[in-house]
Amino acid sequence: MSMPLAVLAVLAWGTIAGLDLVSVPQGLLSRPIVAATVAGTLMGHVTAGLLAGMVLELYALDVLPIGASRYPDYSVAAVAGGVAASLVPLPVAVGVAGLIGLPMAALGGWTLQKLRRRNAISIQRRLERVAAGDGRAIWELQRNGIGRDALRSFALALVGVALALAAAQLHWSLILRAQWLSWAVLAGGIAAALGGALRSAGQGARRRWLAVGVGVGLILGLAQ
Amino acid sequence: MKPRGEALLRLFAVQASYTYERMLGIGVGHASAPLLRTTLSARSARERHEAIARSADFFNAHPYLAGVAVGAEVRAEQDGVSGAVITRLRTALSGPLGSLGDQLIWAGWVPALVGVALATAPWAGLWAVAGIVVVHNALRFRLMSWGLDLGLREGLGVGAALQRSWLPRGAEGAQRAAAFAVGLAVPIVARTVLIGGSRPEVWLTAGCGVAGALLTMLPFARTRITGLRFGLLLLGLAILVVGGSQ
Repeated sequence: MSMPLAVLAVLAWGTIAGLDLVSVPQGLLSRPIVAATVAGTLMGHVTAGLLAGMVLELYALDVLPIGASRYPDYSVAAVAGGVAASLVPLPVAVGVAGLIGLPMAALGGWTLQKLRRRNAISIQRRLERVAAGDGRAIWELQRNGIGRDALRSFALALVGVALALAAAQLHWSLILRAQWLSWAVLAGGIAAALGGALRSAGQGARRRWLAVGVGVGLILGLAQ
Repeated sequence: MKPRGEALLRLFAVQASYTYERMLGIGVGHASAPLLRTTLSARSARERHEAIARSADFFNAHPYLAGVAVGAEVRAEQDGVSGAVITRLRTALSGPLGSLGDQLIWAGWVPALVGVALATAPWAGLWAVAGIVVVHNALRFRLMSWGLDLGLREGLGVGAALQRSWLPRGAEGAQRAAAFAVGLAVPIVARTVLIGGSRPEVWLTAGCGVAGALLTMLPFARTRITGLRFGLLLLGLAILVVGGSQ
């Protein structure tokens, strides 16, 4: 795929992944391991996208999108991370993906709050019609909500892909100790995933299952 | 399309106009509308509109289980239950449907599937990723369909039916599977990324990760030090190291 076509494809994919997080269809497409891997594949570098997705996924495991909680949005961030990873040498792919993806996740979380406030204004404007049971007004709210989220996701994808393309202009192979970025991003991911797992496991049987999982993972990891 | 199918399809977008004030209310109203129009076709337009307006009021639940409330509310409207009782039913369902759904899905099968994908990706690659998307969506469709039918069948008795169902046990099992899968995945992902690193570099990375996990567990740090903030802090330190090396 030519570069301009690949960029258009990842922008479209970023929009889909962003929509999937909350609005529609919530089909796991927004998970970093899916979003970044597909982005890397579209850019012609599956392995880099997969590596970026695996590490950013560790961060996303720390998030429980419960009720009115506010959380980072890793969907479009992972797409941008996957694009960045596929454009740089593999040893620094994870570091550059984190460099782009982690701030993008924080930015994405902020835009989600703005989106919800905008949805509330939209409902307020149609309050009388909704209170009268006007199905058309309810449909308009749903349609506009999806439209707004698509715009939000597209704008985020545009920013993320632009940052990824800019990061790719650096001569990463000439930068000393650039691998430290990858290790820092990985260490943060380990902290996020393990911390989240420990907190949700509580004190009982689930913590034992977590310990068994870590043990088996260590054995398999060392045998790799 | 039949009303049940249309309602099921609309449940995929139940959070499309999510707000902090009404939560899923508008989405639930949108999903209920096709069923209410059919089941209340013999009633006056005013009664139908009142039912649709009730269905779009504040409602909070896990999005995958919102169909339970949609079904129960439609059944209650069909049975001629008063509006005040239906509003109380919605309020009563919010807590259990949110809590059970969060345990079963957000803290259960989603991290379990993701953990499996992370642990198998070094060997299975794209297949691991595609596999969890297919399995998740098959499970999700089955759960939504089951929930809608349970609500339509039980009406006001749906709360008790939920407690008798497989959901509470399923939620505990899914969370155990998630704990195991995430535990399994973390060392495998670390090893995959750290291939080629020297022993001190591997220990430093793993040590920072474990220390960070313990730090986020401290009572005063839980809300202040998130995984993302810790990662950004480490990234900032790494940038200083890399910048200082040039």
